[in-house]
Amino acid sequence: MLLLAGVLLSACRQEPPPPSSPPNGYGATERAFVELAIATDEQALKLVELAGRPELVENRRAELVALRKLLDAPYVNHHAGHDMPGMPTDAEIQLASTSPDALKQFVHAHLTEQLEVLRSAASAITHPPTAEVAELMERHRTAELAAG
Amino acid sequence: MTKPLSQLAAVLALAAGVLSVPVTAQGEPVRVAEFVADCQLSHRLPDDPIVLPGLAGASHFHDFFGNHSTNAHSTQQSLEGKTGNCNPVSDISSYWVPTMYRDNTAITPTGITFYYLGEGVNNPAAIQPTPYGLKIVAGNARATGDHDSIARWSCLHAGHVNPSKNFVVCPAGTMLETYLDFPQCWDGRNLDSADHKSHMSYPVAGGCPSSHPVPVPKLRMVLRYPVNGSTAGLRLSSGTGQTMHGDFFNVWPRAEMERRVRNCINVVMKCDHAGNHG
Repeated sequence: MLLLAGVLLSACRQEPPPPSSPPNGYGATERAFVELAIATDEQALKLVELAGRPELVENRRAELVALRKLLDAPYVNHHAGHDMPGMPTDAEIQLASTSPDALKQFVHAHLTEQLEVLRSAASAITHPPTAEVAELMERHRTAELAAG
Repeated sequence: MTKPLSQLAAVLALAAGVLSVPVTAQGEPVRVAEFVADCQLSHRLPDDPIVLPGLAGASHFHDFFGNHSTNAHSTQQSLEGKTGNCNPVSDISSYWVPTMYRDNTAITPTGITFYYLGEGVNNPAAIQPTPYGLKIVAGNARATGDHDSIARWSCLHAGHVNPSKNFVVCPAGTMLETYLDFPQCWDGRNLDSADHKSHMSYPVAGGCPSSHPVPVPKLRMVLRYPVNGSTAGLRLSSGTGQTMHGDFFNVWPRAEMERRVRNCINVVMKCDHAGNHG
């Protein structure tokens, strides 16, 4: 029993390092980014489908395909129902379906807010395939904003 | 979605006046295994160093208590040696919860207490210090109703109002309060896990399960909000009251944590903020 207590105590004192990823690997930041980006894009898709801009729908769908390829575990939506940057809420989508002004405003907010998240992610992601998808998403939003 | 990030990212560097009320234990010691940290709001950020590590500005808004430096990039190393706003000042741990809003106005909790307790397991003498750097998430940010929520909302000074997993209507002159118990059984190996939950477990029948054999102090968060009356327009940045969740990143200095576990938890004594008992 004393031995067990000693083992446990030393286990506490060993302080295992926090989970980390190999250099340029698919680590905690990449996993969090991919899951967040899927959640945001899936929700945004419901909004941009109302907007009469086919390129937005195509871009979100292409991003979702690329993002899902990066997953290393079954996808779980950790962010459903949350007030996340760039992610339209169900109430906003509902309002956008009846108000063209609201639709335009929410599409713009989706693009500008998610662009900020993507720029932040670009400085944190080290896994090249994930960085590539983040860059694609950034290019899409920059072009989409320029187009109106 | 939220307002432009540039506005949202503004950090509320609130006054960090730490109450330093000397507590003198008098009379008979109280046989409750407990030590405590009373904290204040430090800042708000759309960051989450556990769920969205490294991704600044990517989260829903959180109220951060304790360590002043906490942000999306926080690590054990970055938090170490920084200052916080808890009493005792030695607790520089990070604690955070979703921000509460009435319509679009953020509401700051005015009572923020973290109890470290010996309850929940039958043998408090076996409780070990919380490992340095341990990350724990409690509650369910994705709750869709009562069935998948462990939130608890009640009214301070109005015990007749039944607690609920969602916001409750508190009578005038009382305050809305919420309790959240963190899992207290550690797997003995990992300071975090991919889902941020599976390295920790709640006890089963008064003991820690063999998968998570190391009992640590049970962290109970109690928040009080200056809110009463109608719950209309009340929400958390994660949704309804049922989505209340709390995050804890332990950076109590090792010696301070160990002394409190030894003096307060293992021997079942109620300690003051300094970790002493009568």
